[in-house]
Amino acid sequence: MRSRINFYIVEYAINSLLRQKYKTVFVALVLTLLIFLLSSIFFITSSIKYELHATVEALPEITVQKIKAGRHDEIDVALMDAILELHGVESAVARVWGYYYFENAGVNFTLMGIDEYEEQYKKSFVDAATKLDFTGTSMLVGEGVKRVMDANYYKEYFNFIKPDGSLKRVDIGGVFKAQTELESNDIILMSKEGVREIFDIKQSKATDIVVRVANFNEVATIASKIKLLYPDTRVITKDDLKISYQNIFDYKSGIFLALFTTALFAFFIIIYDRASGLSSEQKREIGILKAIGWRVDDVLREKFYEGFIVSLFAYLVGISLALAFVYIFHAPLLREIFSGYSQLKTSFALPFVLDVQTLALLFFLTVPLYIAAIIIPSWRSATLEADEVIR
Amino acid sequence: MLHKILLLLLSLFLSLGAETFTKSATIAPELVQKGSQKEWCPVCGMKLETYYKTSHAAKIHNHPQRQYCSIRCLAVDMHEFKIDTNDVQVVDVVSQKLISAKDAFYVVGSDVLGTMSKVSKLAFKDKEAAEDFNMEHGGEVVDFKKALSMAQSSLEADIAMVQMKKEKQVYPMGKKIFEKNCKKEIDIHHYLQINELKADLVTKKLCGELAEQELQPLSLYMWEVKRFGEGASKQNIIQVTKDEKCPICGMFVYKYPKWAAQIFYKDTHFSFDGAKDMMKYYFDHKDGISKMIVTDYYSQKTLDATKAFYVIGSDVYGPMGNELIPFATQKEASAFSMDHKGHKVIGFEAITKKEIEKLD
Repeated sequence: MRSRINFYIVEYAINSLLRQKYKTVFVALVLTLLIFLLSSIFFITSSIKYELHATVEALPEITVQKIKAGRHDEIDVALMDAILELHGVESAVARVWGYYYFENAGVNFTLMGIDEYEEQYKKSFVDAATKLDFTGTSMLVGEGVKRVMDANYYKEYFNFIKPDGSLKRVDIGGVFKAQTELESNDIILMSKEGVREIFDIKQSKATDIVVRVANFNEVATIASKIKLLYPDTRVITKDDLKISYQNIFDYKSGIFLALFTTALFAFFIIIYDRASGLSSEQKREIGILKAIGWRVDDVLREKFYEGFIVSLFAYLVGISLALAFVYIFHAPLLREIFSGYSQLKTSFALPFVLDVQTLALLFFLTVPLYIAAIIIPSWRSATLEADEVIR
Repeated sequence: MLHKILLLLLSLFLSLGAETFTKSATIAPELVQKGSQKEWCPVCGMKLETYYKTSHAAKIHNHPQRQYCSIRCLAVDMHEFKIDTNDVQVVDVVSQKLISAKDAFYVVGSDVLGTMSKVSKLAFKDKEAAEDFNMEHGGEVVDFKKALSMAQSSLEADIAMVQMKKEKQVYPMGKKIFEKNCKKEIDIHHYLQINELKADLVTKKLCGELAEQELQPLSLYMWEVKRFGEGASKQNIIQVTKDEKCPICGMFVYKYPKWAAQIFYKDTHFSFDGAKDMMKYYFDHKDGISKMIVTDYYSQKTLDATKAFYVIGSDVYGPMGNELIPFATQKEASAFSMDHKGHKVIGFEAITKKEIEKLD
């Protein structure tokens, strides 16, 4: 058996494709579009998944909130002492944070208080704590916040309105960057004292307490102990958070799934159309080829090249279009389905995540299927006697 | 007349109930110590003004008067010095003046948080005022002797409680503050008491301008950690390379960092995926061991295997099933044993070959 590529057959295949110009262009177009759609969906989901995962991973193992009348309430900082006493707890931090609604732009900022000397509960804050000037009233703002403030002519400082109506002027000290934009986009970092002043939170109170646990196996035990110690709290573990994020994500994925199935359905219709038989003209062509001395495997080879050229072309173009669409243009229409999966009004860029598995899945879902759809009917007519086909 | 009484009662109620109780001084506090260190407790270094209403003062023979943040620090000092209970003074919550402690009435166990103790002990000059407070905030009214004995008996637990917090939070914070701000050479051994150090930190600005909530962690760190040298050797996580296999079960150890254990010989070492496998190996190859380390279940840090405490028969399984689970202290081991239905807690010496075989 010859394993080398027969270039005469390749040439014939290309010529054959060019002979049926309109048909080839049409099939390639449909295939490209389909692959483009599927791969952009996969790209968006995988980068959002990555972003969510990174966001959740950055969180501490346990968050303790006080619940009063079914609502989140300020928690006593003193509770931390008893939590620190639990075996297995590595550290605990009383967080001071909240949402600040900026009416002019209709957006929510997330104000986070950090302490210069406290253990930072997020990796991204460690670097920020060195950059932030704790002596004066200064803050670090996320990129989204910076844009909004710029648009409202707050270039160097911002005036926060305190609960009593008076203003607090805070200078913009720099831009805060975290691993993912979802995490940092709407964040304003400043000293705990600053946040306490803006939200009128007393020294003895905090928004919630986050707990670090060294051994992940112990998280559930410690969480239940905290719950026992303080029945009026809600104890949220990282796993709970992951699940709830996943739930929101899965809900949105359902919409994608609907898109996905329709696209796939369209693809199978094309395949079916192809596989259900050849036109008499194509049959005649195979017959003539056989009559002038082509063997069956030559015919199949030619058909294989034909299918391979079209589908690989469609695959490569579709994938590159999708890459450009998602990561350069940030998926203008498709992303809308997903944005707003968090309650905050945040815009975020999709991080570049190239998943080889996804690419392989798409490849095997399209290229071999299409080639098979071309070869099988050709094989059927090629095995027939030449005169039978031509007649 | 009735009107007036009602009004009086109302104002009394308002003054007690409406504004939440604070332990801080609301008037200028009486500070009986001398010098610039008088603002802080000589035992724990806390600011007296903030905990003024639980503050006690005592006279020690041949010493100037000392004022404490609470009865807890008084109890600590009583261990070291002979203090006559007749010489103890306490702040009356109502008048905020120092009165003789043995005549005072203490409300213990009210809903006011204790100072360096789980249970607060507040003193009143009048029995009625104490009972009123008791009605409002709960607890019970006792005399000084009882309050002091309560403080003494809970001292160990109170120290343990505060110590946990210090180690997990205060010292690391103090260290950061120290490293950032304290550029000048400070001779800690020059000071006799923590409040003297604090006074110098403030008056001489040894570490720049600091707020009280930064000053306290800094001075605690300097006083309780730095003074005794930079803590005992910093414990780390056990390092295992990717090609190390457990000689007992043949599994790669790096996949189970939570359970890693190692035995060091003179010029070689072996890594194990659990204390159980390590012990199996240990029983057969006891000679020439230079060091044995295990991973502490709670902190995930390195522990000296011979000094660790082990829990047998819990509902937590290691990579090889039933495990010997190592802990740094007996207390932690017992706590774990309670949480996870442990069978028993044993020290390293008590581990026998038989016991290990039973685990499989």
